[in-house]
Amino acid sequence: MSKIVLKNYADWQQDDTNTTFCPKLAILREKGRQAFLSQGLPTPKTEAWKYTKLRNLSDEEFVVESDDKNSFHCHDEKCHCHDEHETGSHEHCCCHENCLPFEVYEVNFCNGKLKADHFHTTQGLSIVSLTDAFENGDVFKYLNKSFDINNFPFAALNSAYLEQGVMIAVDKNFNDDKPILLNFHSHGDIKRLSNVYNVIVAESGARATILEHYYCSGAEKSVYFNNIVNEFFIGRDAYIRHYKVQQEAFKAFHIALNSVQVKQGGHYESFCLQLGADLSRQETQVVLKEPHAEAEVNAVYKMNGWATLDTTTDIKHISKETVSHQLVKGIIGGKAKGVFQGKIHIAPDAVKTEGYQLHKALLLSDEAEVDVKPELEIFADDVKCSHGAASGELDKEQLFYLQSRGIGEDEAKTLLIKAFTDEVINKISCTAVAEWIKSL
Amino acid sequence: MNRTPVLEIENLCARVHDKEIIKNLNLTIYEGEVHAIMGPNGAGKSTLSYVLCGKEGYEVTGGSVKLYGKDLLKMSVEERAREGLFLIMQYPVEIPGVPTTSFLKYAVNDIRKHRGEPELDTMEFIKMLREEGKKLGIDNEMLKRPVNVGFSGGEKKRMETLQMAILKPNMAILDEADSGLDIDAMKVVAQGVNSLRDGKRAMLVITHYKRLLEYIVPDVVHVFANGHIVKSGSKDLAEELENTGYAEFVKDIA
Ligand SMILES: Nc1ncnc2c1ncn2[C@@H]1O[C@H](COP(=O)(O)OP(=O)(O)OP(=O)(O)O)[C@@H](O)[C@H]1O
Ligand SMILES: [Mg+2]
Repeated sequence: MSKIVLKNYADWQQDDTNTTFCPKLAILREKGRQAFLSQGLPTPKTEAWKYTKLRNLSDEEFVVESDDKNSFHCHDEKCHCHDEHETGSHEHCCCHENCLPFEVYEVNFCNGKLKADHFHTTQGLSIVSLTDAFENGDVFKYLNKSFDINNFPFAALNSAYLEQGVMIAVDKNFNDDKPILLNFHSHGDIKRLSNVYNVIVAESGARATILEHYYCSGAEKSVYFNNIVNEFFIGRDAYIRHYKVQQEAFKAFHIALNSVQVKQGGHYESFCLQLGADLSRQETQVVLKEPHAEAEVNAVYKMNGWATLDTTTDIKHISKETVSHQLVKGIIGGKAKGVFQGKIHIAPDAVKTEGYQLHKALLLSDEAEVDVKPELEIFADDVKCSHGAASGELDKEQLFYLQSRGIGEDEAKTLLIKAFTDEVINKISCTAVAEWIKSL
Repeated sequence: MNRTPVLEIENLCARVHDKEIIKNLNLTIYEGEVHAIMGPNGAGKSTLSYVLCGKEGYEVTGGSVKLYGKDLLKMSVEERAREGLFLIMQYPVEIPGVPTTSFLKYAVNDIRKHRGEPELDTMEFIKMLREEGKKLGIDNEMLKRPVNVGFSGGEKKRMETLQMAILKPNMAILDEADSGLDIDAMKVVAQGVNSLRDGKRAMLVITHYKRLLEYIVPDVVHVFANGHIVKSGSKDLAEELENTGYAEFVKDIA
C-alpha cells in the first residue's frame, strides 16, 4: 500500500511498489511510470485536455493498494504463490446477478480489485485475471500495443501500477449474445486510486458483448478514482459490442481510455452512458487498420451539480473503405459542464471511407455549459465525412403541446429528454442491454 | 332556464412580445353551447386560444377568465387541461422520439388522476384508443408513430380530434380544425366533434369558412377583429360574412 498525491508526481522518482518478479511486467510498469513522469498531469495548455480541468483530482491524497510480490502468479521460477490467491469468493456486496434483468458472464471488481480468478466461461471464451495472463505470457503481445502511452498520462499512470484486470479472449466458436459483464463496484470511504487494465482479444469471426458497469453503494460521498484502460483487438470479421454504464459516486473521479484496433471487416459497436462522478472522462481511440473495418462510437451523458463529463474520441481511418459513426448526446443541468472532443482522421490511403460525427447537447439551466471541439483531418480524396454540433434548451413548443394535454411539466420534460437520448440508445444492437439502459 | 357558464371571459387584455393583441374581450359560453369565432388573419384568434391555455410568452395584462367558476389564469398549462380545457391547435407540433401512444396514455391518466378516476392500464387504454381512432380513420400504424411526425396536415387535425375524443374536455377550443382538410376529412372531423356534443360540453370553433359551420352548427357566431368581438349573431352571420368580408369591422375601429 502506498499513497500518492498526483500533483506531487515529480517526487515519484523512486518507485518501491514495482516489486514484481516478472521481468516483462516490471519493464511495462517502469515504462508507464516514466511516461507519466515525462508527460506530467494535463493542464489547460494540454491540447487534449483543453476543456477539462482536473480540479481536486490532482490535490487528493489517494491510497494505491497493490498485492505484494507474494500474491503474484508469475511464470518466473522464483515465484510459487498460486495457493495464496483468492479464488472464486463472491462478497455479497457484488449483487449484480440480482440487479441486471438479463444473464451475463460475470467478472467482479470490488474497489478496483478482481474478486476471483476463476470465471464461468464456455467454448470459445476465455477469461483470465491479468495475474494469470502475466504467467502465461501471451498478454504481453497486447499490453500497450494499440496506443502510444506517451500521449495518455492516465493510461501511463495505470501502467505504472499494472496488476488488476482481466484478459478476455474470444474466438469464432463463441457467438453468444449473453454479455460479459465487467462489474466495478466501489464502496467504503478510503480515498482509493484503482487502476484496472483489461485486454479484449477477438479472434477472426468472433462475436461478443462486453458490458462495463461502474457504480457505488453505501457511501454516496465517497471520493475515489477509477482509472481504467481497455485495449480491444478486433480480428477479421469479428463483431464486438462494447457497452458501458458509469454511475460512480458523485464526488468520484473516473478516467477511462478505450483503445481499439479493428482489422479487415471487423466491427466495433460501442455505447457509453455516463451518469455519475464529479469528473469523468471517456476517451476512445479507434484505429481502423484494414479495409471494411467499422466503428460506432455512441454516447449519452447526463448530469447536474458541478460535474464535468468529458467524451473524447479519435477515430483513425488508416485503410480504405472503412466506416465510422459517432452520435453523442448530453443533458446538462445545474452548473455542470459537458465536453466533447471528437476527431476523425483519414489517412492518405483511406480512400472511399466514411466518417460521421454528431454531438448534441440539451442545456437545462442557465449555468450549464458545454464545450465542443470537432476535428477533421482528411488526407484522402473521395471520402464522405460530416460533423455537426448543436446545443440548446428543451423545445418550448413541444413542452407546451405536452402540457396542454394535461401532462405535468416534469413529466413532459422527462418525456422529451427520453426522446432525445433514446435516439442514441436505440442504436444498441443488444436489445436486453438497450432496455436496461433505458430504465436507468 | 338556469344555464351554467363554462367559460367566462371578462375584459381580457393580453399581449405578445409587447404587442397588445387582445383588447377588452368579453365572452361567456354556457354548457352545451357551440360558439364560432370568425375574423381576419392576424386578428388574434390563435393568440386568444393560447392565452386561454396559458402558453408562455402570452401575457395577460388585464381582465379575468373563469372555467366553471375557477380562476383559469392562475393555473399552470397542465392544470387548465386537467380542469377540462382542450385546444385543437392550428399548427400541431411534431415531437420526434415520443410515441403517440405513450404520450396519450400519460395525458389520459394524468387527467383521470386529477378527476379522481382510476388510471387505465395499457390494455384498456390501447383498446379505447383504437376504437376512437377507428371512428376518425386513424389506423394503428399511425398511433405507433412519434407524435405528429410526418403526418399530413389532414392527419394532424384528425389526430387532434382523436385527442379531444379521448381526453373528454368540458371546454374545447378548435383553432382552424378544418384547415388542410379535404371535404371528406372535414366531414369525418366534424362528425367526431358533433359526437362530442352532449348538451354539456362547450365548444369554441375558430374558422375562416362557413363550410365547417354547416357541419358543426354553432349556437352563436362572433366576429373577432381588433382584439375583441365586434359583432355577434346567429349562424346566419357566417353566411353574411362570406359575402361582405371583414372590411367594415376593421375599418370601424381604425
Ligand atoms: N410569438 C409572436 N411574436 C410576435 N407576434 C406574434 C406572436 N404571435 C402572434 N403574433 C402576432 O399577433 C397577431 C395575431 O396573431 P394570431 O396568430 O393570433 O392571428 P389569427 O387571428 O389566429 O390569424 P390567422 O387567421 O391567420 O390564424 C399577428 O399580428 C401576429 O403576427
Ligand atoms: Mg390563427
